[in-house]
Amino acid sequence: MPSPTEYRARQYRAQGLVLKNVPFGEADLLVTIFSRETGKLKVVAKGARRSNSKMVGHFEPLTVTKLALSRGRNLDTVNQVEVSHNFSPLRNDLTLLTKGLYVLELVDGFGSEASPNQPLYDLSLEVLNALVENPNPDLVLRYFELRLLQVSGFMPELFLCVECRQPLEPEQHRFSPDAGGTLCLNCTPAGVQVRHLSLRALKVLRLLHRNRIDQLPQLQINDALEQEVKSLLGSAIDYWIDKEIRSNSFLKQLEHWSKSRVSSKAASPTQQPED
Amino acid sequence: MTTEHLPSAAPSLARLIQELNKLPGVGPKSAQRLAYYIIRLPSEEAFDLAEAISAVKHNIVFCQECQNLTDADPCTVCSNPQRNLEQICVVEDPLDVLAMERTRCYQGLYHVLHGAISPLNGIGPEQLKLKQLFPRLANPQVKELIIATNPTLEGEATAMYIARHLEGANLKVTHLARGLPVGGSLEYADELTLTRAFQGRQSV
Repeated sequence: MPSPTEYRARQYRAQGLVLKNVPFGEADLLVTIFSRETGKLKVVAKGARRSNSKMVGHFEPLTVTKLALSRGRNLDTVNQVEVSHNFSPLRNDLTLLTKGLYVLELVDGFGSEASPNQPLYDLSLEVLNALVENPNPDLVLRYFELRLLQVSGFMPELFLCVECRQPLEPEQHRFSPDAGGTLCLNCTPAGVQVRHLSLRALKVLRLLHRNRIDQLPQLQINDALEQEVKSLLGSAIDYWIDKEIRSNSFLKQLEHWSKSRVSSKAASPTQQPED
Repeated sequence: MTTEHLPSAAPSLARLIQELNKLPGVGPKSAQRLAYYIIRLPSEEAFDLAEAISAVKHNIVFCQECQNLTDADPCTVCSNPQRNLEQICVVEDPLDVLAMERTRCYQGLYHVLHGAISPLNGIGPEQLKLKQLFPRLANPQVKELIIATNPTLEGEATAMYIARHLEGANLKVTHLARGLPVGGSLEYADELTLTRAFQGRQSV
């Protein structure tokens, strides 16, 4: 007779964020879900690609679903599904949509299978909602990257030098993802990548660390500072995820496109018509 | 699978199993079953199969106009004078052209992208046949572009990308309606489909 802890019900319920889906077999979908209860989960939705299936449209990425599942030998199967939330405003804007997919890709990269991480689940929903509501979605992504490192156990040190453990003086410093955070100007550990860290960027990182997401709209930073913070956090994310973040290249392409359109619009009133 | 796993199989049979095993969805056991089935086929049927594979590889090319797969360039749709040259319908795959043609309600031309933008899979616009689409739209004869990508996240992203690229162009850009499938049930429709169905409701 199995003990209560050994007993695993054949059927169970879960609520989760759909990270991705891939075609599986003739008309099935293999869906990756990040669940509050179980962490990352791969499940099969039988027949979900058929247009007359009751489950069609329920497993698109950026959808929060409630699921009734049956345990299988290798993969669990979805019996019933209901959409709780679908962040629909993200789907109406290509750049916002790609930013949402970037969040999903990082959750997929940092989340572990069969290992619940409720803070990461709550963070991902909080950030996806903020992408819809916050006027500065880039700052929301920086907040997400820092908090993602925190809830995954890779939070970079921002207050002490990671080498000599002395509090940082208010001057320029350096940042090293592989050393674990900030370095003072006197310490240079061997064999680690070191990046320049301006005092203003350090302050922004500390603000992102201390503030709640709903306090972010009050934070105004210029483009150069935003790029520095983005590059620092990107280096830490790249170091820990250790694989290519695919949505990043398309996101960069869209950002470049938006900037060139803004600059061409700004330039056009001064342009003289050609004869 | 390698021939080493089948020490007793004849080399030519082992090679056939190995080649069949490369097909999508065909595992080692299925490859063996298919190989033995081919051996038992009458010779002419087996040679027909081999010839069909060979012909497809030799004859099928991309239509220089619509990028659909064809054995005559331009394809039968692009070279048909009866087609409406004012409309171009963008689809993701060649199979989507067949599905549209089955409806018999569309008489315009097509453009096949051979995929959709998928940031999560690293598929960007440069990997699709978009480069060939935009010059076609510069033709003043073209009045409408109908975006018929799949109603998935990737299809929507592709549609938004194309629409964004054509902002300000002197061209009507439309999108296939989103909503409930015929024979479907409101009870099981997801929230997003129902929202789109409401947004696209029409006078009766």
